[in-house]
Amino acid sequence: MVSELKEDLQNLLNNITISIHNSKSLSELENIRVNSLGKKGSITLYLRNLKDYDIETKKEIGAYLNDIKSQINKLILDKKNFFKKEHLKEKLNSEKIDISLTPHEVDIGTLHPLSRTIEELCAIFADMGFSIVDGPDIESDYYNFTALNIPEEHPARQEHDTFYLQPDINGQRKVLRTHTSPVQIRTMEKIDLKNFEEIRYIIPGRTYRSDHDATHSPMFHQCEGLVLGKNINMGHLKGCLIEFCRTYFNEDNLPVRFRPSYFPFTEPSAEVDIGCKKEKDGSLVIGEGEDWLEILGSGMVHPRVLEGVGIDPSKYQGFAFGMGLERLTMLKYGIPDLRPFYDSDLRWLKHYGFIPVDNPSLHSGLNGVFS
Amino acid sequence: MKFTWKWLLDHLETDKNLSEILETLPKLGLEVASVVNLAEDLKSFISVEIIDVKKHPNADKLNVCKVFDGENTFNVVCGAPNVKLGMKSVFANIGTFIPGLNLKLKKGKIRGEESFGMLCSEKELTLSEDHNGIIELESSSELGLSISDVMDLNDPIIEIEITPNRGDCLGVRGIARDLAAAGMGNLKDLDIIFDDGEFDSIINWQVNFDEDEKYLCPKVFGRSFTNLKNDESPLWLKNRLIAVDQRPISSIVDITNYIMIDIGRPLHAYDIDKIKGTILKISKSKKGDKFSALNGSTYELDDNMLVISDAESVDDLAGIMGGERTGVTENTTRMFLEAAIFDPVSIANTGRKLNLNSDARYRFERGLDYNSPETVMYYAAAMVKKICGGKFSKIVNFKLEQKDRIIKFDPNIIYQLSGVKIKNELSKSILEKLGFKIDSVENFWDITLPSWRPDIDGIADIVEEIIRINGYDKIPSIKLSRSNYIAKPAMSIKHRQAFFASRTLASRGYNEVITFSFLNKAMADQFNGGRSALNLVNPISSELTDMRPSIIPNLLLAVQKNLNIGAQDFSFFEIGPIFKGDSPDEQISTITGIRYGDRFKKDWQKEAVKFDFYDIKLDVIRVLNTIGAPKNSLKIFDEAPGYFHPGRSAVFKIGQNIIANFGEIHPEIGDSFGLNKSAISFEIFYENIPLPKRNKISKPMLKISNLQPVTREFAFLINEEIESEKVCEVAKSADKDLITDVMILDVYKGEKIPHNMKSIAIKVTIQPIQETLTDSALEELSANLINTIDKKLSGSLREI
Repeated sequence: MVSELKEDLQNLLNNITISIHNSKSLSELENIRVNSLGKKGSITLYLRNLKDYDIETKKEIGAYLNDIKSQINKLILDKKNFFKKEHLKEKLNSEKIDISLTPHEVDIGTLHPLSRTIEELCAIFADMGFSIVDGPDIESDYYNFTALNIPEEHPARQEHDTFYLQPDINGQRKVLRTHTSPVQIRTMEKIDLKNFEEIRYIIPGRTYRSDHDATHSPMFHQCEGLVLGKNINMGHLKGCLIEFCRTYFNEDNLPVRFRPSYFPFTEPSAEVDIGCKKEKDGSLVIGEGEDWLEILGSGMVHPRVLEGVGIDPSKYQGFAFGMGLERLTMLKYGIPDLRPFYDSDLRWLKHYGFIPVDNPSLHSGLNGVFS
Repeated sequence: MKFTWKWLLDHLETDKNLSEILETLPKLGLEVASVVNLAEDLKSFISVEIIDVKKHPNADKLNVCKVFDGENTFNVVCGAPNVKLGMKSVFANIGTFIPGLNLKLKKGKIRGEESFGMLCSEKELTLSEDHNGIIELESSSELGLSISDVMDLNDPIIEIEITPNRGDCLGVRGIARDLAAAGMGNLKDLDIIFDDGEFDSIINWQVNFDEDEKYLCPKVFGRSFTNLKNDESPLWLKNRLIAVDQRPISSIVDITNYIMIDIGRPLHAYDIDKIKGTILKISKSKKGDKFSALNGSTYELDDNMLVISDAESVDDLAGIMGGERTGVTENTTRMFLEAAIFDPVSIANTGRKLNLNSDARYRFERGLDYNSPETVMYYAAAMVKKICGGKFSKIVNFKLEQKDRIIKFDPNIIYQLSGVKIKNELSKSILEKLGFKIDSVENFWDITLPSWRPDIDGIADIVEEIIRINGYDKIPSIKLSRSNYIAKPAMSIKHRQAFFASRTLASRGYNEVITFSFLNKAMADQFNGGRSALNLVNPISSELTDMRPSIIPNLLLAVQKNLNIGAQDFSFFEIGPIFKGDSPDEQISTITGIRYGDRFKKDWQKEAVKFDFYDIKLDVIRVLNTIGAPKNSLKIFDEAPGYFHPGRSAVFKIGQNIIANFGEIHPEIGDSFGLNKSAISFEIFYENIPLPKRNKISKPMLKISNLQPVTREFAFLINEEIESEKVCEVAKSADKDLITDVMILDVYKGEKIPHNMKSIAIKVTIQPIQETLTDSALEELSANLINTIDKKLSGSLREI
C-alpha cells in the first residue's frame, strides 16, 4: 500500500518535473504550480487525502509528500530565475547601441604655454623658499631706470627701446616698464629694516620694448628674482640658478656657465649660459654638445641701488636675476617662433597649450606629461 | 667691436692659439659674437694678368679678355670699365662660389662670346661695397696664387660684444690687456716715439668755459702736420679697416680710424688750409647754429651742445662728428689733429637730440682714457709721418689736472661678496696686470684706478675685476639654505584666484590667450578708454597706440582672426591687466572671456545650440564659485557697460563693487569687428572680491539630515516685469529652515496667459530636519509659500 502510493507519487513527481522542464513561459509555469501545489492541485489532493490513512502510513507518506512539495517548489523557482535571466538577456540584446558613434561637444580648453612656464618657475622657486610678487606695467622713470642706477644719459638706456606715455601737466612722462627689475625697488622699499632677516622673491610679468621683428615683440614676459639678506653671496646666486636651470630643463647634468657681464643695477654681474648642441637644421638640443646658450642675466645687487632704497650695503647684500620667459618656453617645448605667442590662433593654442588638469608641481612633474 | 687676430698680436705677446683666446674672451665678459676668416671663402680666387683685351663684337660695354695665371690662359667676358691690358686682377674659375653674388660660377656665353670665369670687384669678394670696377692688384703681384695670400687677407676677424661699462675694450689694446691679465700672454709696450716736433703749431686751441662748466672739456690736445701726401692707404692698412667694417677713404682719415680701433681713441683731422684763422674754439652752441657734418647732413643745433668753431662758424660737433667744410680730402697737405676729453653726458645728450650716431660718440659716451690725448699725439704723429710723409709741429694743449682716483678697499670683501677665497697676492697681481696700483695700508688697500677705467667707482667693481679675471667658474655653488620657519605658499590669494579661474575656464572649453596690453585708439574709445595719459608717444604701429581699457576688444580680434582661418566655434580667455589710468592702483587685473558660435553642433544626436547669455552667466558663476566669491552676497543688475547688448547683459555686484560684467556684445561693436553672429563675453574684476574672513584652517561642522527630502511643484502667474529669479528668492523666504532649494522649471508667456503676465513653474525642495513632515505640515508650508508669493510679488497660483 505504502510502496504503491510512493510509486504513484514518484510517477507524478517525474511528470511534473518534465513539464516544468519543458515549460516555455512564466504563465505555463504558473499553471503547473497551480495544477500541482494549488488548492486543487494533484499534490495538494494527496495531502488532503492523508487523513484517510493509518497513522504509520500518514507519517511516512506525509514526510514523503512534503519532500516532493519542496522539490517542486525549488524546480519552479529555478525555472523562474532561468526565465528572468533569459528575459534580461533578451532585453539587453534589444538595447544594444552603436558604440562607434561619438557625440560632438566642445573640446576641453588649453592653458597658454607661457602661463605654464610661469607656473613651472613658481613651483621651482617656491621649493627654494621664494614668494611671487607683482608690480605695475606703467612705471615712472625713477623705478624703471634711475633707482636701478641707470641715469638719464646712461648708454644702457638706449638699449632699452622704451615706450613712453603722454607727458602729464608737469612734463613728466611715464614709461611701460622695459624689464621687471623696477619691482625689485618697489619690494625693497617696503622692507621694514627693524625686523628684517631675508627676502626671496620672484616677479613674473609683462614687459615692453618698442621693437618688432621675427625675434622681438613689443610686449614680452620676464621673470625677475631677488634674494636679499645678511650673508648672501655670489655662491648662493650660482647655487640657486644652477638648481633652477637643471630643474626647469629636467637635466641632472646640464652644464651651466657663469660669464662676467654688465647690468647697471648689479655688481658683479653674470650672464648664465646653458650647454646645448646646435643641430644642422638650426634646432637646439639642450644639455649636451659644444655650444652655449645665454638664458638669463644676474648679479649681486649694486650697492648704490641698495643705498637708494635706504638699505646699508655693508650690512645687507643679495642677488638678483632676470630671464625672458618666451625664450625659456620656446627652448623647453620646441616652439620655433615667437610671434604666434600673441596671435590667439586656435590651432597653435591647441597644439602648444596644456590641459588644465596638469598642474605643474615638483611632486606631479614639471614637464607636461599628457599635453 | 671687431678686430683681427694679427691685430690682437700687435698688442699681445702670446703662445696661445686662436681657439684658446676665443674660449677665454667670454670668461672675461667679452662675449664672442662671430669669428670669420675671409681667406676661407676666398681661397679659390687667384691672381692673374690680363694679356689681351678686345671689344666684344656684340656689346659696346663689354670686353673679351684673355687672362693668364702663370700656366693657363682663360677667355673671360668682362664689363668692368677699368679693365686694361697688363693689369693684374682677381680671377674666379668656373665652379667657384662668389660670396658677394651668392652663386656658383658656371660656364657661360655672353652675347655669343664664351666666358670661362670672372674677373672680380671688391664687392663680389665681400671686401667692400666697391663695385666700380675689378680689383687692381699691385703690378709686382705673383700670378696664380690664392688671393688671400696676395692681398694678405689670411687673418681671422673676431667680433665681440662690449657691455656699456667697458669703453676700454673698444680698442684692440684694451682687449689684449684683459687677456694678458687672465694669463693669456703679455701686453706689449705701445710702440711710441716721443718726438716733440720741429715747429710751433699753426693752429691753437681756445677753451672758454666758466669755472663750473670746465668739466665739459677738461682736456684737448692738438698738433699740426705739413707737407703731407694724402693718398690711398697701404694695402695692410686698408685690409685691416675693411676687416672691421671701416671704409678706407684716404691715408689721413684711415689713420684716425685705425687708431680709434687700435687703442680706442677717436681723433679728428682738420684741413688747416680750410680753417679760417688760426684758432679753434671749443664752446657751447647757440640755438640756431647750423652745422654740415661729414656724413653729408646738415644739423640745426640747440643751446648748450659742445662744438668747435673757427673764425667763420661752427664746424665740428665735439666728440661726435667733424664738419664738412674743414674736413680733409685727398688734396690736403696740411692737417691739424685733435684729441680731446669731453663730458660723456653732454655728448650723449647731443647725440640723442640730433639722432646722430658715430663710432666716436659711441666711445666718448662710454668714457675715454683720461691720459690718452697725450699718448696719441706721439703715436699718431709717427704713423702719419710713416705713411704720409711730411713734418709735424709741437703739441698744443689745454688741460685740467685730474687727481688720481683712489678707492680704499678691504680685501675681505672679496670673499664676503663673491663667496670665493682668493689669496691676497693673487688678487693684487690681477689688479696690477689690469693697471691698478695698490698701496697696502695696514689691513686696507689704497687702490689707484687706471685712467682708462672710468667705469670703476666702488668696491663692488673692484671685486668684480678680481673674480672676473680669476674666473667665475671658481665661485663655489652654494645651496640656499631652508629658512627655519615653515614654507609659506609662494602664491598670494590673487595668484591662486587666477590659477583656479584658468583651470575652471579651460575645463569648460576655453582656450587661454595672451594678447598685447595696447590696442588702437578707436577700440580704446569704444571700450570707454582712450585717455591721453594712456596714449603712447612712440607706438610701434597705429594699431597699438593706447593701453587697453578692457580685454574684450582683444578677444574680439582673436575671434576675427580665427574666423579668418576657418574656425567656427571657439571660446577664449585671458587673465591680465587693464588700465584705467597711469598710476599703479589704476592697473586692474581681470579675468576676461569670450564665446562665439555653437555650444553644440548639429549632429546625429542633437540639434545645434548657440552660445548665449545663460552659458556665459553659468561660466561666470562657476569661476566665481572657484575663486571664493561669497555666493549669497552676489546681486545681479542690468547695468552692464554700453559695449554690451542692453537687453542681454548683466552685472554681478557685491555691495557697491562690480564683480563681473557679462552678456552679449553690442551688435554694433560686433559689426565693427566684422562678426555676423553674436559674441558672448564676460569680464571678472576679481580684485573686488572681498578676501575670505576665515582664519581657521578647519572647516565649520557639517549638519546633515538622514530624512528624505520632499519636493513640491507650483506655478505662479506674475507680472512679466518681475525678475524670474525673484520668485525663487521669495519662495525660499517662506520657510528658510525647511526649504533648501527652489528651482525654476519653466517660464512661459503667451496663450492662456494674460497680457503683461508670465507663468513661472518652480520645484521646491523641502528638507525635514528632526522628523518626517506630516501631510498637514506640508499643506501648511505650501499654503504659506503661496501666500508669501501673493503678498510680496502679487503672484497667484496657477492651475496646471
